[in-house]
Amino acid sequence: MSPKRMPTPVEIGSVTDKTLTLVWSDGHRSTYSWPSLRIHCPCARCKDGVGQIPPTIRAMSMGRVGAYALRFVWSDGHDTGIYPFPLLRFELCECGEHGREREIS
Amino acid sequence: MVTRDQVLDALRDVEDPELHKSIVELDMVRDIGIQDGRIKVDALLTISGCPLRETIVESIRTKVGAIPGVHEVEVNLGVMSQDQRQALIGKLHGGQASPRGRSSFLTPETPTRIIAVASGKGGVGKSTVTVNIAAAIAQRGHKVGIIDADVYGFSIPKMLGVHGRPTLIDQMIIPLEAHGIRVISIGFLLPDEDQAVIWRGPMLHKTLTTFIGEVHWGEDLEYLLLDLPPGTGDVSLTIAQTLPQSYMLLVTTPQEAAAQVARRAAKMAEKVNMEVIGVIENMSYYRPAPDASAVYIFGQGGGAALAKELEVPLLAQIPLDTPIREGSDQGIPVVLSAPDSPAAKAFRQAADLLLAALPVPARG
Ligand SMILES: Nc1ncnc2c1ncn2[C@@H]1O[C@H](COP(=O)(O)OP(=O)(O)O)[C@@H](O)[C@H]1O
Ligand SMILES: [Mg+2]
Ligand SMILES: [Zn+2]
Ligand SMILES: [Zn+2]
Repeated sequence: MSPKRMPTPVEIGSVTDKTLTLVWSDGHRSTYSWPSLRIHCPCARCKDGVGQIPPTIRAMSMGRVGAYALRFVWSDGHDTGIYPFPLLRFELCECGEHGREREIS
Repeated sequence: MVTRDQVLDALRDVEDPELHKSIVELDMVRDIGIQDGRIKVDALLTISGCPLRETIVESIRTKVGAIPGVHEVEVNLGVMSQDQRQALIGKLHGGQASPRGRSSFLTPETPTRIIAVASGKGGVGKSTVTVNIAAAIAQRGHKVGIIDADVYGFSIPKMLGVHGRPTLIDQMIIPLEAHGIRVISIGFLLPDEDQAVIWRGPMLHKTLTTFIGEVHWGEDLEYLLLDLPPGTGDVSLTIAQTLPQSYMLLVTTPQEAAAQVARRAAKMAEKVNMEVIGVIENMSYYRPAPDASAVYIFGQGGGAALAKELEVPLLAQIPLDTPIREGSDQGIPVVLSAPDSPAAKAFRQAADLLLAALPVPARG
């Protein structure tokens, strides 16, 4: 009914995967490196910088928040970031196409 | 000759009035004795001093008494042991007694349609709309519940005339019931209903998630309405973060200013991926006499403009009407107290449009 539906993940990879893969309701297939996801944590505490993030950082668990976001519990204990689907789909995606776009700009 | 199976079959139709489940399924029937036409049924209640024990006894008598050949029914009630209650809790949480698996709104597959009733500001009639839509949905034969999530200004208990304390079975809260509507409100849990509620964030969050996750709504619940506080504060956010799927119903008055703030609620819905299912305009007009022409006390067109902008239907325009206020003061929604009034008709129209937009899977 609402004209502009938010893209939602129809497939969510596992925290045991090397990189996270999300397949979206619009068909797009996104990939993310774990350190990059952690660095871009949108929570209030991380907005001013996250400090040193070890390249070995991993999510220990993840889950949906309501109908609009994912949340991760990181191996450094951090867990306050709520990642809205539009952020993941349109800003943080590192698939072949989008990852390169951002490197250039 | 009456058989044990006949008696069991008859008892299957006896529901625990609070848990809405057959007492056979709940393992509350302990023993059946048959001596010609004299039947003895031993059953266990969840708690001693169950206020509804008479209802259960009566219901057992009627059902078993209807079996041909039965001329006397004796009912003995006992109380469950701690272990038996534990087993019951297991079933309520989705053991073998739960055909649909885990009964919870916390899974995206839940068949229950959840509708959050929101407004930009207070006093526009959000709670009035909630109870009347619920009453109209119940009248259509659907199982419906209300979570009074307006923790600062709860009014649902008064509007439905329901007071008292919900039964607690271990960790599960059994909702109260009024006019066929299952209800939970912070008003039931406070020592004194008039007591002001001063909430700190974490407590508020916990209370709301308890209302959603730890109330035994019954897995036959088809519609759950949430009366949100006005505006777009913590409560709305908690709900958006807790429910995997829900819809928003916006209530506004015809004033441009009211519609303007209602827009903010719609914006928030969009952010958290909650679909706005429609707009109800309340206090749309006043008719001093049935054949008089309408007076637009609060102006005109706010609801329609909002609906158009959001590309959702305007579900109804509810007139200003004294029976509405009288009804809510007496604890009876106008849909029930004055079913033929224009206001009741408008509420029913809105409810029917909602039911059509959000059908529930056929019950089997
Ligand atoms: N259409 C109406 N006609 C007459 N009185 C109404 C109408 N809608 C609401 N009221 C009354 O206005 C007051 C505020 O309504 P309420 O539902 O409590 O608003 P909210 O929940 O938005 O704060 C209540 O006393 C209610 O009975
Ligand atoms: Mg209210
Ligand atoms: Zn963070
Ligand atoms: Zn991409």
